[in-house]
Amino acid sequence: MHFDPTIPFKYWDALLIGLGTSLRLTLICLAIGIALGFVTSQARRSRLMPVRAVAIFYVELFRGTPVLIQLFWIFYCLPMLIGAEPGNFISAVLSLSLYAGAITSETFRAALKSIPREQYDTCRALGITGLRLAIWVVLPQALLRAIPTLLSNAVALFKESALISAVGMADLMFIGSSIANRTGRPVEMLTAIAIIYFTVAFPLTRIVGRVETRILRRLAV
Amino acid sequence: MVQDKLLKIHNLHKSYGDLDIFKGLSLAMDRGDRLVIIGPSGGGKSTLLRIVMGLEDITGGDVYLDGKPYILRDGGKTKIDHKLQARVGMVFQHYTLFPHLDILRNLTLAPVKTRGIPRAEAKAMALLERFGLAAKARAYPSQLSGGQKQRVAIARALMLDPDLLLFDEVTSALDPELVAEVEAVMMELADHGMPMMIVTHDMHFARNIASRVVFAAGGVVVEDGPPEQVLDNPQVARTREFVERVFARKK
Ligand SMILES: Nc1ncnc2c1ncn2[C@@H]1O[C@H](COP(=O)(O)OP(=O)(O)OP(=O)(O)O)[C@@H](O)[C@H]1O
Ligand SMILES: [Mg+2]
Repeated sequence: MHFDPTIPFKYWDALLIGLGTSLRLTLICLAIGIALGFVTSQARRSRLMPVRAVAIFYVELFRGTPVLIQLFWIFYCLPMLIGAEPGNFISAVLSLSLYAGAITSETFRAALKSIPREQYDTCRALGITGLRLAIWVVLPQALLRAIPTLLSNAVALFKESALISAVGMADLMFIGSSIANRTGRPVEMLTAIAIIYFTVAFPLTRIVGRVETRILRRLAV
Repeated sequence: MVQDKLLKIHNLHKSYGDLDIFKGLSLAMDRGDRLVIIGPSGGGKSTLLRIVMGLEDITGGDVYLDGKPYILRDGGKTKIDHKLQARVGMVFQHYTLFPHLDILRNLTLAPVKTRGIPRAEAKAMALLERFGLAAKARAYPSQLSGGQKQRVAIARALMLDPDLLLFDEVTSALDPELVAEVEAVMMELADHGMPMMIVTHDMHFARNIASRVVFAAGGVVVEDGPPEQVLDNPQVARTREFVERVFARKK
């Protein structure tokens, strides 16, 4: 049996559906993860010790354990705990969002920390305080500084999302490897899947670099 | 009736833990005064300005603005009158422009968002014009030289029409060739009668701009007088020692 590069093309429509699922899942989890991450980064600065403790436990747990095991927790342990079956898609969204939230909370934390203390002094001297300080000065700078890392997080999340195939979600990885099994053509199919992931991820990683230099240049004061 | 002093600091105490920065410092300032504060590094010059700006808690004493109690201790806490605080402005050494906003919006942010001042843009453009920065209105801080940034920071402080403007080493982070343009702007404000309190290491500039020079050390005011006295002919041995050392370093 020799290498036949035409095989994946026969299944392009199925692969496209898989890619659609992967992208949809990534975008949904990214949106939830960013919101969750921002809230968590604020919770970590809370004045209330229990709030801080919960936030830190959550972040460190999800940053320090393999995503695959997190998936199994949500898929198999959560139903036992809540006594109901949330369904594949919900479970996938839940677990990847929790992971994304833990990662982005660190991104926001670093971004907030990189705002020089002089900015806060100036604002107080100008009478810009409280919510106005947060909305007009801190948040825009934190978001700008976070954008490059958030983009890298998005790429990482897109690739990590391949793991949900392990619990039976019909994403790009799952569909590709099923076809590989059925046709007995793992080399062709897995190479094709890798190329598809790369085609989406590569331009994004290039954009990250560009955006980063632009933003850093703008914020250099 | 005797007019109230613009600023009166009475028996100020301030400490960080065991470190006593001020041990009963008193100082008063008239409306026509431009005070230059000199003193050893770590002596508390920045802390003094930050206290007058309302950025620091104090440990004891009180501060009056226009004869009204501005900062005082009450029930173990520092009480600051925020209405009076709004009449004081401050320019810092660096990192103070808002990098995400263009120059015009750097000037208008505080007036528009916190005071609802109408026609803030026209006023901002007039100030930029006056400081030779009109062409930069739509530029971002990162596109400006250090000297231009500091001139913008001064213009931004002026947007709120302060009765007293504080300057903490505003030229110290600048390349030598950019110092003059910032000092020129401050001289222009002085000519317009702007009351200022200035911390600077530039003794030549201090002599030019000051109506009074205050030498603060050891937590109190050691000597306070016209620049010809404090800088050229100090009456107190400690001042003389400091001034001689600073001028010796310059040569
Ligand atoms: N937040 C703080 N916590 C503890 N100590 C502080 C704090 N801020 C300042 N200090 C200390 O207070 C003292 C006075 O500091 P300050 O910055 O006012 O001095 P300075 O006269 O402005 O010095 P320089 O000429 O170097 O700018 C210093 O010993 C400094 O280490
Ligand atoms: Mg200082």
